[in-house]
Amino acid sequence: MDKSLHVVLMYGLTQLGFIFFFYSGDIISSTTEGHWLAIVIGLVLNLVMVWLYMKGLGYFPKQDIISIYSAVGKWAAVLFLLPLVFFLFITNIITIRAFSEVITLVFLANTPLWAIMALIITLSGYIALNGVESIFRTGVLLAILFLPVILFTICISFQNVDFRYFFPVMDEKFSFLARPPYWHSFAAFAGSFLFLGFIQPYVAYRPKYVLMTVAALVPFYFIAVYVPLFTFGQATASTFKFPFIVLMSTIHINWLMFDRITMFLLLCLVTFTMLFISMVLWKLSQVLHRCLPKVKPSYFVIAIAAANFIGCLFITNWDEIQSLVMWNTMLRFFVMVGIPCSIWLLGIRAKRMIKDEGA
Amino acid sequence: MDSFIQEIRDSLGDNDDFFFQQEKIGRASVILMGFISLIDLTRTKEALHANMDNWKPDRDDASSMMEAIGEVREMDLSEAITMFMDGKLIVFFESERILVLAEAYPSLLNRAVESPTNENVLQGAISSFIEDIDTNIGMVRKQIVSRHVKVRSFLAGSLCHKKLSLVYDESHADSKLVAKVIKQIESSSDKEINNLQNLTKALGLSAWSSVPKFNTTELPEEVAGALIKGRVILFIDRMPFGLILPNLIWDMFSLENDRNYPLPLMIVIRLLRVVGVLTTLIAPGLYVALVAVNPEVLRIELALTIAQSREGVPYPAIVEMIFMLIILELIIEASTRLPKSIGPTITMVGGIILGQAVVTAKLVSNLLIIILAATTISNSTVVGFQNSLAIRLFKYVIVIMSAMYGVLGLLAGLVLICAYLSSLSTFGISYLNISMNKGESGNG
Repeated sequence: MDKSLHVVLMYGLTQLGFIFFFYSGDIISSTTEGHWLAIVIGLVLNLVMVWLYMKGLGYFPKQDIISIYSAVGKWAAVLFLLPLVFFLFITNIITIRAFSEVITLVFLANTPLWAIMALIITLSGYIALNGVESIFRTGVLLAILFLPVILFTICISFQNVDFRYFFPVMDEKFSFLARPPYWHSFAAFAGSFLFLGFIQPYVAYRPKYVLMTVAALVPFYFIAVYVPLFTFGQATASTFKFPFIVLMSTIHINWLMFDRITMFLLLCLVTFTMLFISMVLWKLSQVLHRCLPKVKPSYFVIAIAAANFIGCLFITNWDEIQSLVMWNTMLRFFVMVGIPCSIWLLGIRAKRMIKDEGA
Repeated sequence: MDSFIQEIRDSLGDNDDFFFQQEKIGRASVILMGFISLIDLTRTKEALHANMDNWKPDRDDASSMMEAIGEVREMDLSEAITMFMDGKLIVFFESERILVLAEAYPSLLNRAVESPTNENVLQGAISSFIEDIDTNIGMVRKQIVSRHVKVRSFLAGSLCHKKLSLVYDESHADSKLVAKVIKQIESSSDKEINNLQNLTKALGLSAWSSVPKFNTTELPEEVAGALIKGRVILFIDRMPFGLILPNLIWDMFSLENDRNYPLPLMIVIRLLRVVGVLTTLIAPGLYVALVAVNPEVLRIELALTIAQSREGVPYPAIVEMIFMLIILELIIEASTRLPKSIGPTITMVGGIILGQAVVTAKLVSNLLIIILAATTISNSTVVGFQNSLAIRLFKYVIVIMSAMYGVLGLLAGLVLICAYLSSLSTFGISYLNISMNKGESGNG
């Protein structure tokens, strides 16, 4: 049964949260001119990796990456899956902690941080407990409910733009490549497409549609970076941690009964991020379940969620999140480049072996 | 054979509505046995005699006469008792010592086919199901004239027998689903089925699901529509409705009868119901969130108006909201309990309390009354009473979460409900399926 729509929506939704929260800030602070170049390089890398990943997975129908690596040997499973587990775990902690921080900053100043983190983790854990198909169905419902709101807020975000801020066009030195914020911007890509390798045994999808989604998301990357730039200018925009969120606070619409449109954008993105967190929880539980088959996956979900919560409690301020993001950089690039490439190479090898056997 | 009669006398003779009657049919002397409360004895006897008068035998012997009366059958005591309970007449030929099972005129224990009591129909067929299962199936057969419609009947229960019938359209229904349902019913045929909770258990479904597993309907038109969409329908004797299995989320918003309107109007009406459900869920939560936690989201003018209307209200918004919601639920419950003649009293008293007195007494704010009215009205736009109950329950989840986390809680509550709904499935078919055409049972 073809469920491309579910997969595509899941992929798109989980990306949107990262794009409007972290991506815009990272790119704006990584360079002072020619942001489009920075975005395009990231997008091309992302597209190539997604393409390789799916090409590689195409050689192993109905298998997830855990069984692909296990089939090669124990060393491959440890080499690739162990960093993956660490990466996903840390990503979850960072995501939960960072989103809770933003929520307290923007509109729940009196609510303790742990309460918000507990809410996010509990809900994500509940979604993950229901299994992967249920995660996808939840994604579809959330898309129906909240995607229109997001599109509406994006449309009205153009209220105060000044297109002259597009210049200067070029950064000839490519100086952004060496800046840490630019490396962080890849967080928007890295975590999102990995799930494609986990769901093959459960859900069928067509790679063509996933690539189309990657293409359809391109405008959002540009909007997330350029609309704050056009509104505030580089000098001002680079002082904000979350330029797009600040931008939304400046929008004023006469006929709307609400004063702060930020709230709607932010909250809809938070719901999408809950979906992302639940997906990560599910992925982690799958990997761990393969290591210890006797324990039910649902126990792993609960245990990982609890561990994530405790991990989040240990982070006391924003700088610690930043340093955690920094440590995660190595893992991120390993996961983002290493896993798709290795799956692709293994796929080619497997194909050749089948051919040899046939001959 | 006399011992058999004696056995029946022993086990059923203490019922005052059980009769043994000596009778002469033609030349044979017989004993008629049955329940007077289930059989119209006078008409049955008339029919027996008329039958004998018109009887032109090929061969003039007792056995051909017996065949003319009914089915000649060897049976044991428990089988005979089941037949009696089913309203059959047993004729005992004294000289031949043979039992004959005869169809009797049933005494009329059913109401006539009437218009539905729980569902309103605009511009559509208004005859609704009654308690008699055969009449119901007949109505479905009249509604959808197709040779593909199949009926399977089962007898459930060991102490108390209950007739169940499964109706499906073999050209549309997924054969795997039908096989699963039949297997499940057969495997739990010893369980008593007296209500829908029993039935849910007998079908092996979770009894703790807040969303009903069956979509109940009183209208043959809806059942016919469901059959064409590949659902299966269960009828239970003495239940004046059909149970459409599985229940899907879109049933909350769509009626087969909507298709009697032009297409654009149908779409608008259905959208209106979607808006109704969303309003029910969101409105009370949004009030609590905006008043108690996040007033800064509102325009300053609006925030001030709300603050003004709440002036003098001595407790937080959540208490105010829960307090009024519960009173409202009590009114709804009371008006369903009361006889129709005193029902309006409750409406009037409730109207006075909710309308003016409670605001004048500064117990709740004006705005809250508006929110409550909007919630209650929009809750009633849902199709099917059983669905509106589930929505009524869900709104409390959102109200409580909104009181804790403000607008974040409101959205988190919606996510929770979405996650809950997507975790539901019946016989492997997700609750969120939109269409149920053949082969799509894996879709979600």
